[in-house]
Amino acid sequence: MKHPLKIIPVLALIVFLAACGGDKKPAESDSTSTAAGNAQPKKTILFFGDSLTAGYGLDDATEAFPGVVQDKIDSAKLPYTIVNGGLSGETSAGGRSRIDWLLKQPFDIFVLELGANDGLRGLPVASTAENLQAIIDKVKAKYPQAKLVMLGMQVPTNMGATYSSDFKNIFPKLATKNNMTLVPFLLQGVGGVRKLNQADGIHPTEEGAKIVAANVWAELKGIL
Amino acid sequence: MDNVNYNRKINFGWLFKMAVRDSRRNRARLLLFISSIVFGIAALVAIYSFKYNIQNDINGQAATLIGADLSITGNKEPDKKLQTLLDSIGGERSEERSFASMIYFTRTQGTRLVNIKALKGAFPYYGSLETTPLKAGTDFKNGRYALVDKTLMLQFNARVGDSIKVGNATFVIAGVLNKAPGQTGIASGIAPIVYIPFKYLADTKLIGTGSRINFAYYYKFPQGFNVEKLAKKIDPALDKAEYGSDTVENRKENTGRSFGDLSRFLSLVAFIALLLGCVGVASAINIYIREKIASIAIMRCMGVKASEAFLIYLIQITGIGLIGSVAGAILGTSVQHLLPYVLKDFLPITISVSISWMAILQGIGLGIIISVLFALLPLINIRNISPLNTLRMSFEETATKRDPFRWLVYLLVVGFIIGFSYLQLGDWLGAGVFTIGILVAFLILTAIAWLLIRFTRVLIMSSWSYILRQGFANLYRPNNQTIILTVSIGLSTAFICTLFLIQQLLISQVSLSSSGNQSNMILFDIQTSQEKPLAELTRKQGLPVLSQVPIITMRLDKVNGKTAADAKKDSTLHISPRAFAWEYRVTYRDSLTNSEQITSGKFIGKAAPGRDIPVSAEERFANRINVKVGDKLVFNVQGIMMNAYVSSIRKVNWNKIQTNFQVVFPAGVLEDAPQFHVLLTHVPSQPVSAAYQQAVVKQFPNISIIDLGLVLTVLDELLDKIGYVIKFMSGFSIVTGIIVLISSVRISKYQRIKESVLLRTMGASRRQIFSITALEYLFLGTLSASTGIVIAIGSSWLLAKYRFDMPYHVNLWPVAAMFFAITALTVIIGLLNSRGILNKPPLEVLRSNA
Repeated sequence: MKHPLKIIPVLALIVFLAACGGDKKPAESDSTSTAAGNAQPKKTILFFGDSLTAGYGLDDATEAFPGVVQDKIDSAKLPYTIVNGGLSGETSAGGRSRIDWLLKQPFDIFVLELGANDGLRGLPVASTAENLQAIIDKVKAKYPQAKLVMLGMQVPTNMGATYSSDFKNIFPKLATKNNMTLVPFLLQGVGGVRKLNQADGIHPTEEGAKIVAANVWAELKGIL
Repeated sequence: MDNVNYNRKINFGWLFKMAVRDSRRNRARLLLFISSIVFGIAALVAIYSFKYNIQNDINGQAATLIGADLSITGNKEPDKKLQTLLDSIGGERSEERSFASMIYFTRTQGTRLVNIKALKGAFPYYGSLETTPLKAGTDFKNGRYALVDKTLMLQFNARVGDSIKVGNATFVIAGVLNKAPGQTGIASGIAPIVYIPFKYLADTKLIGTGSRINFAYYYKFPQGFNVEKLAKKIDPALDKAEYGSDTVENRKENTGRSFGDLSRFLSLVAFIALLLGCVGVASAINIYIREKIASIAIMRCMGVKASEAFLIYLIQITGIGLIGSVAGAILGTSVQHLLPYVLKDFLPITISVSISWMAILQGIGLGIIISVLFALLPLINIRNISPLNTLRMSFEETATKRDPFRWLVYLLVVGFIIGFSYLQLGDWLGAGVFTIGILVAFLILTAIAWLLIRFTRVLIMSSWSYILRQGFANLYRPNNQTIILTVSIGLSTAFICTLFLIQQLLISQVSLSSSGNQSNMILFDIQTSQEKPLAELTRKQGLPVLSQVPIITMRLDKVNGKTAADAKKDSTLHISPRAFAWEYRVTYRDSLTNSEQITSGKFIGKAAPGRDIPVSAEERFANRINVKVGDKLVFNVQGIMMNAYVSSIRKVNWNKIQTNFQVVFPAGVLEDAPQFHVLLTHVPSQPVSAAYQQAVVKQFPNISIIDLGLVLTVLDELLDKIGYVIKFMSGFSIVTGIIVLISSVRISKYQRIKESVLLRTMGASRRQIFSITALEYLFLGTLSASTGIVIAIGSSWLLAKYRFDMPYHVNLWPVAAMFFAITALTVIIGLLNSRGILNKPPLEVLRSNA
């Protein structure tokens, strides 16, 4: 009998804490205070993604590209706070289950960065597309006003031409269908460049993350 | 007597003649003694020979873990400097490029992620690419051919002769890949392997900007080449180029404890073989010399000098030792050659047999040295005894005065045991500890025997029956055999039992994936909604769900209130700042698994609502963030801060293929957090694996499957072999131990002849003598076997704790059975010994043996 009773306070705690989950990183809370200096009400951007968003292998998660984008927002004095919803190893199927957890907290812009792990594991392109669409549908249902951004991804050449092109095409297709802003290839100028990636060859270094952020910023700034 | 020249020179020719003459007196008896030496040395030589051969076999097999002497790998094109280094290494070289790619089965129209390996050169140098048909493993390099993993073939219903498309090139499947050396990491299990020839790699057009390729170089060197030294030398340069090297030794260390356990076990066996040899030889020599005392006394009375008598017997003993040892070495070597042949239908492994001269030389040298050393003890006494004293036959009591030479001999014996154990163990500390252990065992047994002698004398009551009194009195009367038999039976029992117990412990550690309850397939990225249907599907396919665990990713936010910034600023906190950068894969459950052991604190399986969460930290993790039981941690569970404290610290056996965690949460807090699940199962065969994978992919396309079947067959075969080697060596040593025990009891045959014959002439019935003998041996057997077993339990516990470093869980029932067996054996041999006396008329016995 103890078990069900216990869940209620825990749930309450979860909902409460999820609301302020974005403030977990020192750099971001700094930016929050500078943003708070402006009179405008603060808006939230949720970056929902995998290790690229989470900043796998970097000393500090704020060095990942969403953190760099936050810096750009701050220096442009725009009233936006970024919530980093990255999780290493996340696939589109994982994101489809996890999105509910993050939907509890309202946001104004939703940036979707998923699929890279599907591609590296050679998962069927159709199922990746289906999962991403399901995530978009859930977001639209909960926050119909939110602007949507799709970050395009590609797989390494060695996966084979057919799979590579099928995979690459998922993102523009979904972006058009759902009226999303598209960043054609998130890792443009970084993917395959040895010195901008960590030893594993797939995760950008701090330097690489800056270029990635610039790729995102090029499209994102238009909708802020 | 006056004209005797006491200063006469030693006439060696005469001494030799006397030594031979004396031995002629009773050849049957001599043969019995020699047989004991033969068995001791045969045991030693056979065990040593097996050990040397087996060690070579296992080392040879271990080389298939990597398939070459040295492998150098990296994930980027080698630069000029590295290329120069790679070219300068010498030896034979093979090159491999491997990468993930989607291949297309043209006939059955399926697409699947595989691990393409493009190979150039003769790799593997150890083991082979085992394929069906057999020749495909080498022939595929001659054309546009590919070797395809067996499970993959089954999954896509492909046949040899079909084509696959790899990038832009098409290859004909030349063979099914059943086993490949060098595939021992989990990484190689993520995608099934497809081999293609290196020269057609460019045709695939898969290599270029934006591709992720792994580069591997395999080297083979001539025998005797010091690979380790080379690896150490080139490592800094490789490091700089972000490359890594791997050697067979390296791989053995990383394969888990089995190799270390095996070599420790083999040195233990060798040590025990040495002691068995000692027991066999020493007990024979000791009794032999004691029987010779009368002859020596007579010779002394006839004018033989003490030094001459001493030398005569020294020569004789050396001769006996030499004959016994050579015969033992021959017997041991023939056993070593015959046994694998005889057992070849039962042994699942092939044990190579080559004559080990090292073993033979050690055996013979050992035999002679032990014979002489143990003969010296009684012989030294003779030096100090006047002829008359010797004739009185009461020398035993008078000769125990302190003689500095006696101590010298003791010292020699100890030094010799240390020296020989050093030869076997290779380190002085180990040799010293083992020798001390044996001395302690020896002293315990001697003390027990001594106490027995004292107490039986006091205990015997005149109210007891005659037989009972006689049987017990035999234990303390002059010319008793209590000490020698207690020591030899006790030591043999201790050795046999120790080996048996250690064997039991080791076998339980060599866990094989083929045993059915070990996982060889991992499914991950299972979503919560898929958890139950997948488990159902798995069971429906007749496969076990060995474990299914939820995994939640979280970060560490605070350690005792300190954040990442604090840890970076203040290094005296001893918290690794990296610990805050990692994403932790955490699970929750209400109990420990069998690969975990709590080292401090208490595991709490359920979280109390509203309080800090009791979590269990893995030992190394706890060290990295410098926490003890009770310390506070804050975890960031994807945006939600959770306050926790360390309730326990665990030790985890990371070697087993199962899900292990740095942090374990209790049940009751993380159930609703975003999570995925991992399922472990065991697939018995490749067709089953293929069918199962097909079913899973069809129903749950997002789930990734790692099939470790191919990886584990290589490893399993090796572990299997190690397991059998341990069983075989311990079985063989136990049998030889029993033979040595039998022969050392057997040599007491002549000890009781006089008494028995006297009793018979005085009218004792056969039954009475039979009972008296039975009683004496029963008592000796019971006492020494039980003492031996107690010593064995103690020593195996110490060995397990300090040498093998593993928990002591043994089944003691077989040991109880061993106790009864050894006691029964002692009694039976004792009775067999006196059978001759019982069946023949007393006078006949006296004439032939006196």
